[in-house]
Amino acid sequence: MKKIIALLLVLALALSLAACSGSAGSSSTNPATVTGNTGPAEDSAEAEGTNPADSEEDEGGVNPATVTGNTGPEGNTETELVLYTWEAMFPQEVLDAFEADTGIKVNYVNFDYDETMLARLEEEEGGAYDVVIADDYIIETAVKEGLVAELDKEKLPSFGNIDPFYQGWFYDPDDLYTVPYGAGVQTIVYDPALTDVEIDGYEDLWDESLRDSIGITANYRVIDGMALKVLGESMNTSDVAKIEEAGEKLNALAPNIRLIKDDRLEEDLLSGEISAGIMYTSQVTSAMMQNPDLKVVYPKEGIGFGIMGMFIPSAAPHANAAYKFLEYILQPEVAAQCFEYIGYYSTNKAANEFISDEYKGFLTLPEDIDLENAEILENISNDALDAHNLVWETFRAATGAGE
Amino acid sequence: MKPKRRFRSETLMLVPLYVFTLVFVLGPLVYMVILSFLQRAETWGVTNEFTVQNYAGILEPVYLNTFVESFKLATLSTLLIILLGYPFGYFMAKLSQKWKGRMMMLLMIPFWTSSLIRLYGWIIIFRANGILDKILMGLGITDAPLKLLYTYPAVVVGMIYALLPFMIFSVYSSAEKMDWSLVEAARDLGASRIRAFLTVTLKMTLPGLLSGVILTFVPSMGLFFIADILGGNKVVLVGSLIQDQLMKAHNWPFAAALSVILTLLTSLLIVLYRRLAGVKDLEGLV
Repeated sequence: MKKIIALLLVLALALSLAACSGSAGSSSTNPATVTGNTGPAEDSAEAEGTNPADSEEDEGGVNPATVTGNTGPEGNTETELVLYTWEAMFPQEVLDAFEADTGIKVNYVNFDYDETMLARLEEEEGGAYDVVIADDYIIETAVKEGLVAELDKEKLPSFGNIDPFYQGWFYDPDDLYTVPYGAGVQTIVYDPALTDVEIDGYEDLWDESLRDSIGITANYRVIDGMALKVLGESMNTSDVAKIEEAGEKLNALAPNIRLIKDDRLEEDLLSGEISAGIMYTSQVTSAMMQNPDLKVVYPKEGIGFGIMGMFIPSAAPHANAAYKFLEYILQPEVAAQCFEYIGYYSTNKAANEFISDEYKGFLTLPEDIDLENAEILENISNDALDAHNLVWETFRAATGAGE
Repeated sequence: MKPKRRFRSETLMLVPLYVFTLVFVLGPLVYMVILSFLQRAETWGVTNEFTVQNYAGILEPVYLNTFVESFKLATLSTLLIILLGYPFGYFMAKLSQKWKGRMMMLLMIPFWTSSLIRLYGWIIIFRANGILDKILMGLGITDAPLKLLYTYPAVVVGMIYALLPFMIFSVYSSAEKMDWSLVEAARDLGASRIRAFLTVTLKMTLPGLLSGVILTFVPSMGLFFIADILGGNKVVLVGSLIQDQLMKAHNWPFAAALSVILTLLTSLLIVLYRRLAGVKDLEGLV
């Protein structure tokens, strides 16, 4: 009997430990997704533990050795394209239509984190993949490492469709390397039926009537950045004193925080568990689709946002096919279809009119928005990051202290 | 000749175990300790410079406090688990053989489901207008949804739920092999029920109780995902601090230093237990 109990106990312990690690995986955020671009794509990639190596095998051996056997970059007979990005970044209809139109077969290879992508690309020395879609901050590093090809604009007649607001940012200041593919815009979303205040900026979240009713993402750069914005500072400041000041401000917000969560935060808003939230763009989209009475607010302090960019790696085996793909995605109708699918803001000005009305309110920026204080979260120094971390953990402890 | 060959085959059979332990237990442990003395690189990863800065960083009150919070939650959970688990294990040992088996089965069945999924079950019970709210409002005890989810009590309930079986099994295994005639002897010699329990039963089941405490207390120092899911991330435990440092702050050396301290603390508890209980192994485990 004793042995059986011992066995059962060990088994139970092993099972619960396995569950532990499973949860650690699923509740983790992309380590460096400071841009707020954790989309549905990433969530599902995490859940299924996809990694590029697996996918490659599934796709039937897409590796540099096999894909280089095509005609050179000057030839126009390329019949294959290796697309490297998160899972679920394109509606299947778009990929199918592209294949039917051009005869180019799309090999969709996934990565889970931006960092995985960068490591793979470094390993392949900019080869193996033809089109990569990733977050802004990692593109900055990839460009610095010489892994990104300069775009030949003559092969992209529709380059002008891009919304100029999403161009010229830190990771590609002269628009030499990237075509933006959707943007995450930090908004406040709230249920007017459950709140007594009119929210038009971050500052309003400090209102006492919102006690214990706000849900926020667990992305510390976004939340600390919000407090910095309220103080009129840049989210990317390296001034430790200012970050600490933002921490003080943030601690005053703690009693209003009911929930800190990255995954499916929109469900808590829909169920009434929280009445206002700061969540990822794809979650806002999902919430709005299920309850159109919710309100999306562009904070008056200025919006924080992040851009996902498409680029062609420096040694892409099928560069011509890659250009055809970029050009295809730049077509307004196609782009609109893609943005509705991924639930991120349209970075294609020509596409805006094709975005259906039900999505328009939260996939395109309003005409009258003040973009003067708009900012992208950028890579900052380790000292500033340490300060941010301390501020964040202090704040998190303060949110639990009231109970 | 013969004993020698025997010795060799036994040694050979142990080799996989030793290799497994070295590669999967000692290896990562050594890696963690080394990592904790390295410096974080400016962009990604670590540099090879030696530093004790990571350990000094733990002295920051906010970070120290995560150890206190973890300790508090673990103590509270363990106390409640003793209150619930000890009587359960004790009375389970007094059941007939048939019912012992059935109880064991019932206790084990939930383990066949992922603990994460079972936690989501608690969310369904606790959430606004969830099962508990509906019952309370149906009975007229409350008239509006209570905010039960994402609170400290919800976390404690989750901890108890996850760890209670370990206490029950340990106490049960102790109580089961107890010689009940000793209790009868005590009663015959005039001890009251309570006195007999305190002087005989409790003493003899103490090893089981203590190993139950170790089996619940030590894991509860690390079960941060319960606090994350049921507590809405508002209770900062060492485990979730380590996760943040690894996954968000990219500060692997600091995370390693925190892990080393946590490992030392829990090891200390086990040493204490061995002193206190006077046994070398965890009751029920060997």
